[in-house]
Amino acid sequence: MAVAKLKKAEFYIYKSDIDGVLSALQNTGSYEVVPFSSDSGPEVSALIHPDFQRVESLLGETRFLLRFLEPHFSDPVSGIARAMGEKDDLSLEEGKALDAKTDLKAIAEDVRKLERRLMEIRSEVTQLDSIEQLLTSLHGFPYPLELITSGTDHIHGALGTIPADQTEQWKRGAASILGMMGEYYTVPASEKEKDQIVALFYDDSVSGEALELNARHSFNRIEIPPALKGKVEEELAAIAEKKERLAEEEKLILEKAAKSAEGLVPTIRSLSDFYSVLKDKYLTLSSARSTEQVVMLRGWIPEDSVAEVRRELSIYDSSIELILSDPAEGDEPPSNIVNPSWCLPFENLTRLYGAPKYGELDPTPFLAPFFFIFFGMCLGDAGYGLIMIGFFVWFLRKFKKMPTAFSHFFKLFVLSGISTVIVGALTGSWFGDLVDAFGIFSFLRPLKNAPVLLNPMENPMVFLGISLALGVVQLMFGLGIAFYDALRKKNYMGAFADTGGWIVFLVGLLIWGGLAAGVVPAGAGAIGKVFTIAGALVLVATQGREKTGLVSKAVSGLLSLYGVTSYLGDVLSYSRLLALGLATSAVGVIINMLAGLAGGVPYVGWILAVVLIIGGHIFSIAVNVLGAFVHSLRLQYVEFFSKFYTGGGKIFAPLTYNTNYVRIKKENQDQ
Amino acid sequence: MDLLGIALAILGAAMAAGWAGAGSAIGVGIAGESGAGVMTEDPGKFGLVLLLQALPGTQGIYGLLIAFFAILKVGLLGGGAEISVNVWQGLAIFFACLPIAVGGYFSAIAQGKTSAACIQMIAKRPEETGKAVILPAMVETYAVLSLLMSIILLNGISL
Repeated sequence: MAVAKLKKAEFYIYKSDIDGVLSALQNTGSYEVVPFSSDSGPEVSALIHPDFQRVESLLGETRFLLRFLEPHFSDPVSGIARAMGEKDDLSLEEGKALDAKTDLKAIAEDVRKLERRLMEIRSEVTQLDSIEQLLTSLHGFPYPLELITSGTDHIHGALGTIPADQTEQWKRGAASILGMMGEYYTVPASEKEKDQIVALFYDDSVSGEALELNARHSFNRIEIPPALKGKVEEELAAIAEKKERLAEEEKLILEKAAKSAEGLVPTIRSLSDFYSVLKDKYLTLSSARSTEQVVMLRGWIPEDSVAEVRRELSIYDSSIELILSDPAEGDEPPSNIVNPSWCLPFENLTRLYGAPKYGELDPTPFLAPFFFIFFGMCLGDAGYGLIMIGFFVWFLRKFKKMPTAFSHFFKLFVLSGISTVIVGALTGSWFGDLVDAFGIFSFLRPLKNAPVLLNPMENPMVFLGISLALGVVQLMFGLGIAFYDALRKKNYMGAFADTGGWIVFLVGLLIWGGLAAGVVPAGAGAIGKVFTIAGALVLVATQGREKTGLVSKAVSGLLSLYGVTSYLGDVLSYSRLLALGLATSAVGVIINMLAGLAGGVPYVGWILAVVLIIGGHIFSIAVNVLGAFVHSLRLQYVEFFSKFYTGGGKIFAPLTYNTNYVRIKKENQDQ
Repeated sequence: MDLLGIALAILGAAMAAGWAGAGSAIGVGIAGESGAGVMTEDPGKFGLVLLLQALPGTQGIYGLLIAFFAILKVGLLGGGAEISVNVWQGLAIFFACLPIAVGGYFSAIAQGKTSAACIQMIAKRPEETGKAVILPAMVETYAVLSLLMSIILLNGISL
């Protein structure tokens, strides 16, 4: 069905042609190379393309250049637009020409010089800043700093801090020790400072006493860079001048960077993509095996693409050998998911959970209708649906070239919006109760009321019933798929005993329950009982079949019936459809009510009301779309998938052109 | 007597909005701390982180919703006609508000922790965002069930 069949493809290629063959394969984008398993032969492996080293180092250079230059580059195409596929085209020939023309190493060397100088300047400025801060705290210091940093023949200086409350004591001590043999100085400080900056100048002859005095008052020496010699004010002026010079130089460098960014960034981006395309190609060789003359590649080709690959490779016919076979036991082929266009937007949801394994069912077409309905019920407001449709349609038209994964995702939201409009129209919810809440919309009322089937605010129990019924339908559908899947794999015990037993048992219970609720005619009651008992018997008889011994078989079988509670839980889980739908309309109603209240304010009321309506509904859309998406998805993943789907496959990842900035033009050899 | 009934209904509304809102605040806060950590490494993940951080915020909205339902029911909003609420009816409205108050508070905190862990997960594996969004949603189920029960109970009280 939806997981496409693959062929195992082994290539034997003459070494001289390997580059051309790989390029052709990369151009088709239909061949995934897998490494040889380590035990399948003693041949030489670890083949490295002669150009690999060069390309890898150049790729590193482009990354460095882009990291440094891109912040200085004003991009004409915004980042979002680029991610949405607004890329320039580049053919491989152009890339090759660009590669030959550009001396990337030299450019990188120049730019690296700029970067290094910029870093030096910045660290120098930081250093100057800290010295400046220190000197500012010494403002008014009357001695040349030379006295402290180097001293004279006889006089030494010490600058440092002591606790402010010891200042007076320290001064008295200093006066008594020094006498005529030195001076002391305290930097004027505000009352609040805890530390007092002091300086002591002393003759050699009293240095012992002076140091002891300082030690007694917990003197903490301040280091001053030895280069500082003059008065504080002079040094401050010198630093300011130096900083100005550095700032000027930095500005020049940045201007230079901006200028080279303007010229270089587009080229480097193209080259970066060109090199990464080459690197991808060369890396496939690391999965190859080679002998003297021949390189062997092993990988997978989708069955549908075999003809195209053969055509692309036709010019190498004489030098390659392609052997195709079906996947064998023990192989782990990747999954190439192919879906009809109507459910393509939903494929992303399957991928989010994990791709199906090769040969398993792809759940995309099964979940598509349910997700469609559930999203509509969870959001359930036609006005919000219209806004979603409008926004995403506009987005899709604005970015026509966006990658398919994105466009499918946005189409999913358009579809979800359509479903929301349908459910909203049927339940009469347009921006909450906007039409009913404000008189100016009264002309719309008949239009709004015409399609209404059910108002969930007034009849929540009916809506709850619908939600749970949908749950039963989806769960039964899931069991049905599991039944079919087991039959397909010829696992008859799994089909009839496990899944079949549950289906019969649950259908019986439903009929029985319907009888009790009075919705099923009495005549059907007997059928219900028969189904229930038959299903239960099958389950009891078979669910313990892997156990040994009659008693444990019987106990396991009986215990398996307890699994009915999980089905009950699953069905109740669908009640979220009601709760979220109600929450959306109720939030809308509240917003309208607040706007109505605000509208009563004299003069400016109507402005407040309009602001509240617009802002409130935008907020409500954002919150509720997120909730509706997450919860509809959860119902698929947890309740539905658990019945039949495990995922765990690996997505088919062929050798192709993966680029960030440009789009590589496919070469068509026919032209 | 009538006033006590109204007061009880208001107590219920206040509990619903207050506790569920407090839970959401804690939950969003926990997720936000984790998100800030991730963004110091990679500011480009802002969008994804914001998405995951927003998930525990819904309980606050559910609580607000029930609070509005409750005060609408006793006619405190919109300036409609006076509705007489006796003590038992007031008490019933109070009880009907409890599921979302209690369920909202605790589930929002638990969901916040799960979101925080999932934010760490997408820091390492941004390609697994789909799964990272589902795990917190598993916790939210119980807030949705609380909301549902509060709605059904409120709906069932006749004044």
